[in-house]
Amino acid sequence: MIRSAPSSIVFRAGQVRRIASAAGKDYGRLPHSNSPIVSKLKFFNAVSGDGNTIPTYRVLDGVGKPLEGAELPEIDRALARKVYEHMQLLPTLDTVLYNVQRQGKISFYVSLHGEEATIIGSAAALELDDEVLGQYRETGVLLWRGYGLDNVMAQCFGNEEDTASKGKQMPVHLSSPKYHFHTISSPLATQIPQAAGVAYALRRIPSRRSRSIAACYFGEGAASEGDFHAGLLMASTIPSPALFIARNNGFAISTPSSEQFYGDGIASRGPGYGIHTIRVDGNDVLAVMSAVKEARKRCLEEGRAVLIEAMTYRVGHHSTSDDSFAYRARAEVEDWKKIDNPITRFRLFLESQGWWDAQAEEELKDRLKADVMKAFKRAESLPKPELKELFTDVYGGEEPWNLKEQRAELQGLLRKYGNEWEPWKAEIGRFRNKARDLID
Amino acid sequence: MLTANIKRSARTARKAISHIVRCNSSAVEPPPAGGHLPSVSNSQLLRSTRDAALRSPGIRWADEDDSGPANIVGGRETRKMNTYQAVRDAMSIALMKDDTAVVFGEDVAFGGVFRCTMGLAEEFGRERVFNTPLTEQGIAGFGIGMALMGHTAIAEIQFSDYIFPAFDQIVNEAAKVRYRSGGSYNVGGLTIRTPTMSVGHGGLYHSQSPEAFFMGAAGLKVVIPRSPIQAKGLLLGAIRDPNPVIFLEPKILYRSAVEQVPIDDFSLPLGSAETLAPGNDCTLLTWGTPVYHCETALHLLASPPPSLEKHIPTSLRSASIELIDLRSILPWDVQTVEESVKRTGRLVIVHEAGMTAGAGAEISAEIQKRCFLKLNAPVSRVTGWDLPVGLQFEKFIIPDALRIVDALVKTLSY
Repeated sequence: MIRSAPSSIVFRAGQVRRIASAAGKDYGRLPHSNSPIVSKLKFFNAVSGDGNTIPTYRVLDGVGKPLEGAELPEIDRALARKVYEHMQLLPTLDTVLYNVQRQGKISFYVSLHGEEATIIGSAAALELDDEVLGQYRETGVLLWRGYGLDNVMAQCFGNEEDTASKGKQMPVHLSSPKYHFHTISSPLATQIPQAAGVAYALRRIPSRRSRSIAACYFGEGAASEGDFHAGLLMASTIPSPALFIARNNGFAISTPSSEQFYGDGIASRGPGYGIHTIRVDGNDVLAVMSAVKEARKRCLEEGRAVLIEAMTYRVGHHSTSDDSFAYRARAEVEDWKKIDNPITRFRLFLESQGWWDAQAEEELKDRLKADVMKAFKRAESLPKPELKELFTDVYGGEEPWNLKEQRAELQGLLRKYGNEWEPWKAEIGRFRNKARDLID
Repeated sequence: MLTANIKRSARTARKAISHIVRCNSSAVEPPPAGGHLPSVSNSQLLRSTRDAALRSPGIRWADEDDSGPANIVGGRETRKMNTYQAVRDAMSIALMKDDTAVVFGEDVAFGGVFRCTMGLAEEFGRERVFNTPLTEQGIAGFGIGMALMGHTAIAEIQFSDYIFPAFDQIVNEAAKVRYRSGGSYNVGGLTIRTPTMSVGHGGLYHSQSPEAFFMGAAGLKVVIPRSPIQAKGLLLGAIRDPNPVIFLEPKILYRSAVEQVPIDDFSLPLGSAETLAPGNDCTLLTWGTPVYHCETALHLLASPPPSLEKHIPTSLRSASIELIDLRSILPWDVQTVEESVKRTGRLVIVHEAGMTAGAGAEISAEIQKRCFLKLNAPVSRVTGWDLPVGLQFEKFIIPDALRIVDALVKTLSY
């Protein structure tokens, strides 16, 4: 982009003199850089000094045993059980809603099978009022914060209790100011630069400065969007306490991460923006908790951004619109579920601590299933919101003439044909008060 | 990206009304409940026989030049295809005949989320048919770069709702390269394909019709096909056009619209509308998916079901309506529309995008200028409301056959 600055700024006399004197004193220095001068012709293509791949931080091995020398995060029986129960809740919810979509009762669903440790581990390490900007696989963060299954179901069904989108958004596009969870957008990566702005605003709110951060989730595919680069650059250049959590689950719909980037994952990009970065085993919930806790601390202490790349595996299809066996072998997925199941890994740890047993497992599964089914049945039985919501929330303040007139036009059409045109008649019956709010 | 479940849409598309207006003067069955989708599967506008397909108006066979007799259809074959298969067929021909041609975009290697590139990677190799990282601006810029080198770049943006990160590359670069280089460079080899319009349950970000956003970008062409034959002919026309083209494919039609499609290499003209049904009393202008809503509306007007009879005056039921598929949004075929409206004296424009600054605004302004003294009624626009497409409310946002017939009645009796 070419932008011409006013000449008074470019040619300010004092500045010219300063540069001239600096050049005179340190002949051979580089402009705007402290880069050391070397005479050896050497290219580089790695962010780690030794040229190796960026390592991955892990504390529990595949069977839930702490690695030698690993420091566990502070966790007691109650917290550990809460974490585990929420990790188990996610697949229970996924299984029911996936099938509900298949029955045509909701239009769409995305599961997060395989990413339970990344979602719940990070949620547990954040403060409850840290601002969250998600992609669309982070429903678990809201559930951790106490949002409740009824609210999740209401949004997925778009019924009259859907306060997250008033029936306007596709399923799993949640939002809740009360739980500091910003509204989800289907376009990818748009939340990343927004997180920088949210974080900068937090710095300017005295009661939240040094106390709250913005936590921004996205997939490794979304990190290919220009908005990713813009967002990290903004957050680092205009210092903002934003924690960027990349869920590297290996796939963007069908595209494997090997075709998404050539470099060393997402983590390698952090240092390019001067951002503290760590790669963590996203299937190790304790490692995720430790990493997020430390990252959060750095965000607040330095008032700057941090990047975490959580390595995980998308066990489920991309969404209900996708059949992933068209591009990856069923056996590959089954193998991954066996080799590294984040839930099993943590359960084995709990059992080794004497905090969990088969009976607790059975009780939990029964309870979660009953809870999810109860919420599903309730949501299913409720009507859609009032039809007038169709025209609400476009603008704040005064409504423009075109919307007023278009609402009146629809109202006239509904009065004229609502009882006679079969497709409308059937549809009207699904709304609260049978759309009388708009028709009368 | 989220992928709207097209399979399900096609299955639930309601059963068709089987006759177009003038072929039908007797039996009427009321449209079944449960959907506003057009009767795509049984539409009379779709060419279901070999002969009808080969005689599609404006067809230009690649193996015929101007020297011999035009339009020899003897010996040519057709095959039954839906729209995504026809799109694939066009790309296959482009790849086969032009060694510089490449096809790329998100998830295209396994066949694309709408199956338009199925098997192309296997047939032509991953150097020519490949996945890109998830970056629309990257895809558009990359395509511009290849086209600058004289290559044929066929790029896919997974949903037209997601084309906006590429807006700068498309509007400031692709559209302006020829002008700003005084004609020394051009990106005529660039075609950007992208699925568009609503499916009934796509919500805010899988239902948009962004054609009008590109309408002011001089240097671009914008094309929207309505059927498999149209998709193949117009896409090959777009690929070979000396200008960059945005090719918007109505996604509900990928599976639901089926025709016999000529298997030979042919193109259909850009910048040219097609009159689908002649008429004298009113011109009904549309493009893409609503073509089929219009067909249903003509049926409702001529033979309203008992429940609607009282709203359709008997005197209007024999009205003859001229149905035009605009096909090219930029440049649009002003001559065909002007000529029609001068004859009919009335114009109803239907599109899914919102009213304000929709393509209908541009068309109605120009037509009112050209046809002012011939008009018997104001130009009417039946459009989506000026709203994002709220998921649970879609049936009342996207215009359906009823809203079109209501506008026709008002316009005819103005």
